[in-house]
Amino acid sequence: MSTLPGGLTLAIPSKGRLEELTRKSFSTARMNIARPGGARSYVGSIKNQPQVTVRFYPAAEIARELILGGVDIGVTGSDLIHEASENGEENVLFVRGLGFGEANVVVAIPDSWIDVQQMTDLADVASDFRSRHGRWLRVATKYVNLTRRHFAKYGIAEYRIVESAGATESAPAAGSADLIVDITSTGSTLAANQLRVLEDGLIMKSEANLIVSRTADWTPLRKAQLEALLSIMGGVPPGISTLL
Amino acid sequence: MKTASERYAALVRLVESRTVTRATPALLLPAGPYFDLAGEEFGRNLLLTTTNNGVEYCLRPDFTLPIAQQYLEDGMIGVPSAYTYLGPIFRQQHSTPVEYEQAGLELLGQPDADNALDQVLTFARWALAIYDITAPQVRLGGVGLFEAFLEAAEIPPAWRSRIRHRFGHPEALQRLMERLANPEQRVDAPAPDSRDTVIEIVTDAMLSGGLSLIGSRTPEEIADRYLEKQALESAPIPPETVELLQNYLSVAESTSSAFERISEMCKEAGFDFDEPLYQVRNHAAALAALSPNADVIFDASFSPRLDYYTGIVFEMTGADGEVLASGGEYDRMLERLGAGEPIKASGCALWVDRLEREAGQ
Repeated sequence: MSTLPGGLTLAIPSKGRLEELTRKSFSTARMNIARPGGARSYVGSIKNQPQVTVRFYPAAEIARELILGGVDIGVTGSDLIHEASENGEENVLFVRGLGFGEANVVVAIPDSWIDVQQMTDLADVASDFRSRHGRWLRVATKYVNLTRRHFAKYGIAEYRIVESAGATESAPAAGSADLIVDITSTGSTLAANQLRVLEDGLIMKSEANLIVSRTADWTPLRKAQLEALLSIMGGVPPGISTLL
Repeated sequence: MKTASERYAALVRLVESRTVTRATPALLLPAGPYFDLAGEEFGRNLLLTTTNNGVEYCLRPDFTLPIAQQYLEDGMIGVPSAYTYLGPIFRQQHSTPVEYEQAGLELLGQPDADNALDQVLTFARWALAIYDITAPQVRLGGVGLFEAFLEAAEIPPAWRSRIRHRFGHPEALQRLMERLANPEQRVDAPAPDSRDTVIEIVTDAMLSGGLSLIGSRTPEEIADRYLEKQALESAPIPPETVELLQNYLSVAESTSSAFERISEMCKEAGFDFDEPLYQVRNHAAALAALSPNADVIFDASFSPRLDYYTGIVFEMTGADGEVLASGGEYDRMLERLGAGEPIKASGCALWVDRLEREAGQ
């Protein structure tokens, strides 16, 4: 792609509500994203913007590609950028939130742990958990990096992460973990599983973001094309490309 | 003027001297024991690889763990042993893989722990001398000393363990100190519930949440901690004790004046702390004799973030502030690895690439 004199790659979530809302926010700016082959196709285009190639990826992959510079612009959750790599946020530029996909990454414990309200309580529990139970306190999550960072901030070292791909909220009842770090939008899934968010258990607020890769190969022409595209999108002050 | 390869050859001679055994653990090691011993915080630095059936291995991130494991596997408990090592270790930092050359000494099961620690300090001193570093900055810390201090200052045991577990983590300890200095005034403090009632409430909540009563935290454990918290909130540590604790932790100065200050503040608080200070004083003196040009400070709040350290810990830094050697006493490590009881252990690790950079300057 770098052999081309110009052209931009835009990565869009490939399925579900995130795809739908992303396409909607582009069409609001009069940029209709075409996906000629339907849901099974992974390349698309924007009418009147021939310099832009649209690629459809799973949201987590968009985060990785933005960090590595495989795509130039993308739409994905800010949580996924922070999770994809320890220094993920240094490699991208958050242009603006898109007003959907809002959710919080939180630390949640069984509601029956009436002695635990804050991270400091959790630190106390973690510190002697192993001598009581012969194993580390286990945290189920798919947010390995975010969990490690948040727990380190509170001085909690005595725990193990159990990686969980889905249905994390059921891990405590299933016995595969003692507590969880998960994403929640309304909190209803947590409540249904009798899990409670710690008072200071908010790790981050996330929403779908328009994100530019810092690690992509930004030639002057491509920077100009980026500025043009962002000005059509609106809500973005000009000059973003000077930060790249 | 020595060359880099001459310096390295001298280091090899030190590592292969006749009184020690040079250990050569495998480059590829099971990752589980590292997570078990050091937890997620260290685990994030491992370079991992996974077999097809999902078992994780890592490139050797340090020498201490495999050496200690081998010691246990060979049934050496009770046998005083001295191991050295020299070779590459692998970590990741900011998602970038890094290879370091590390050398070090591990003294396991030595009957005279004080003598063993002095040997470790001597080893580090010699290694630094090979690289013409004769005036390092040395920072001493006392993990055992801090534990003794908490006890001597008559801090209630429940608070003691909370404070102890945050030792070595400045931010978390600072937060706890603030909490101690400004205890929550609970005007609506409920009358203490009976233990049985609390256990019953917790049991009901666990069952309705579909939790097993035995797999994780038990109702009794939760109830006890709940009641303990209530008791702690109603009986905070006296302000003068909190102040003493803060004064102790703020000590970071040349060893003799540091020990003097600690001794004084304890006397003022009405107890004698000279006996526990005696041991760390001796090691500081031994260090001063070994390395007259070294700038040795005692930093009361200094501790590695690993809970198996027990006694005195140290760190030697060079001109550009990088840690060149670090180590200390860690009697709880072999216990953690399955020895069943604490076993005397001390050692140090040297960062060879940094030593070479210092020498090259």
